[in-house]
Amino acid sequence: MNNTNKCLIVILAIFLCQQVMAQNNQTQNNQGTITLSFIPNVAGKPLVLNDSSYTNPFDEIYQISKFRFYVSQVSAKDKQRSQKEKNSYHLIDAADPSSLQFSFSLKPGKYNSIDFLLGVDSVRNFSGAQTGELDPVKNMFWTWNSGYVMLKLEGRSTASTALNNRIEYHIGGYSGAFNTIKKIHLDVNFEIVAGKSVSLPIKTDINTLWQGAHDIRIAASPVCAIPCALAMEIADNYSKMFSIIK
Amino acid sequence: MRKISILVLFVGLVWMAGFFMSAGKQAGPWKPTYLSFNIPAGWPKPPKDIFISNRLTEEGFQLGKKLFYDGRLSKDGNFACATCHQQYAAFANYDHDFSHGFNNAFTKRNAPPLFNLAWMPLLHWDGAINHLEVQPLGPITSTIEMAEQIDSVLFKLKKDSVYRRMFKAAFGDATINSQRLLKAIAQFTGTIISAGSKYDKVQRGEASFTPSEQNGYQLYKTKCSGCHPEPLFTDYSFRNNGLSVNKLLNDSGRMRITRDNKDSLKFKVPSLRNVAISFPYMHDGRFFSLGEVIDHYRTGIVTAQPSLDSLLKKRIPLTNMEKNNLIFFLHTLTDSTLTHNPRFAVH
Repeated sequence: MNNTNKCLIVILAIFLCQQVMAQNNQTQNNQGTITLSFIPNVAGKPLVLNDSSYTNPFDEIYQISKFRFYVSQVSAKDKQRSQKEKNSYHLIDAADPSSLQFSFSLKPGKYNSIDFLLGVDSVRNFSGAQTGELDPVKNMFWTWNSGYVMLKLEGRSTASTALNNRIEYHIGGYSGAFNTIKKIHLDVNFEIVAGKSVSLPIKTDINTLWQGAHDIRIAASPVCAIPCALAMEIADNYSKMFSIIK
Repeated sequence: MRKISILVLFVGLVWMAGFFMSAGKQAGPWKPTYLSFNIPAGWPKPPKDIFISNRLTEEGFQLGKKLFYDGRLSKDGNFACATCHQQYAAFANYDHDFSHGFNNAFTKRNAPPLFNLAWMPLLHWDGAINHLEVQPLGPITSTIEMAEQIDSVLFKLKKDSVYRRMFKAAFGDATINSQRLLKAIAQFTGTIISAGSKYDKVQRGEASFTPSEQNGYQLYKTKCSGCHPEPLFTDYSFRNNGLSVNKLLNDSGRMRITRDNKDSLKFKVPSLRNVAISFPYMHDGRFFSLGEVIDHYRTGIVTAQPSLDSLLKKRIPLTNMEKNNLIFFLHTLTDSTLTHNPRFAVH
């Protein structure tokens, strides 16, 4: 065999490798897309920041100026397997419509559950400086006591005894006695087809914050901004805020 | 046939060249000078590797040093990290119980010295900060310290072509964001190591203690090492050392973070290294001399406090002679190779 032919064989081998790699990419492209879309509302009334008045189960009237929360570690399950979204951190912010939904790809199949953490998973809370959705410039990282604010609700209420009738709930705490990270499980029923996109609207009812496992009255607790027992109770309540719109 | 082979070979080579060039492009031409983190002989490994996702480079260190000394990290330009962390005081605030912050405010705790931070599991007197990288967020945004916002700091840095160049040298491109800012500062503060005191030289057999220092060292070993063990001269635990409560500050210490009554009045045990030059002492800087500190342990401890550390229930009896010898020993922990090291000095 002469040198030219030897070279040809090497080139052919590399070419074949390329083909296999390209095929792998194709398999990845052979997926569909799921879009989770959060729809903030208060007991069915659409959320309008700094405007609409809402009534909680204790007949306390309030307005909302800020509503944000973190969603992390999203996964979807079909009968065979669970698929995780990569780099799965999302700051959902009622003031930024583009933040209310996000998409990721899934293999074709029939899916029956969506799981995620409401909040930022524990490890990211003590792993140093983060960027992207977890950047401290987003004002969701405590500088006085390291850790993320998992959910933030601010506004005003005539029932509030705090300064300027303000209500302010910065719910955080990632470990130990005050862990406010909530595992969310949603039963779903959708099918992913290659190359197609499915949208999953998730009703997000802020009014769940006041009542559920615990009664939270604005008159008694207008402010909560530290990891503490009250924060845990509020997180217990709002962990029920999601429901799939059929 | 041969002609076709050569043609195919040529086309193949061109295609391969393109393939490798594009691979090369992704890797980029960025070649920083990597540094290793050197643990002094005989020291334990740090509890976690704080540089595991922040690989040390000379460029990152130099950027961190420039940021540490730059007043633009504060709202009015007056307060750099170095304003309250001065090299000649082992990066504590020399002769200040509380530090001055924005708009003539006073801080509420004494600024601690900065060295051997890679070994410190939790930062601040109450352990509020869980990673060295996120520590600067506290003083930068505190209204009584630097009183600035992180995005305003980034806005100022982005306008400066020197910073754009230095961020590129440290991280491969000119992007300036909070993560890079914080990682760079950690490369500076996390590599300030103090292991060059007379005590260290004695341990290495390069110097010897005077008889007074030697006696003080023995006293330290029996009376102080329970909370301040060698070689770091602290165990980084949180303890109540029996200080009377300052009613104006009402500082509950570690309890502020854990909200557990058991942690009431507990503060982090500080290192005794460089103690002679990092006065005043305690979380509120109430003692200005080592003599006052030792007198507190001899006679001043408030023994009625429920959370008082068990090692201090009977206070620490020391004669005047012993007190003086202990002070002689504590002076051997001053590290002039730290306070005079041009590597950590401004420009």
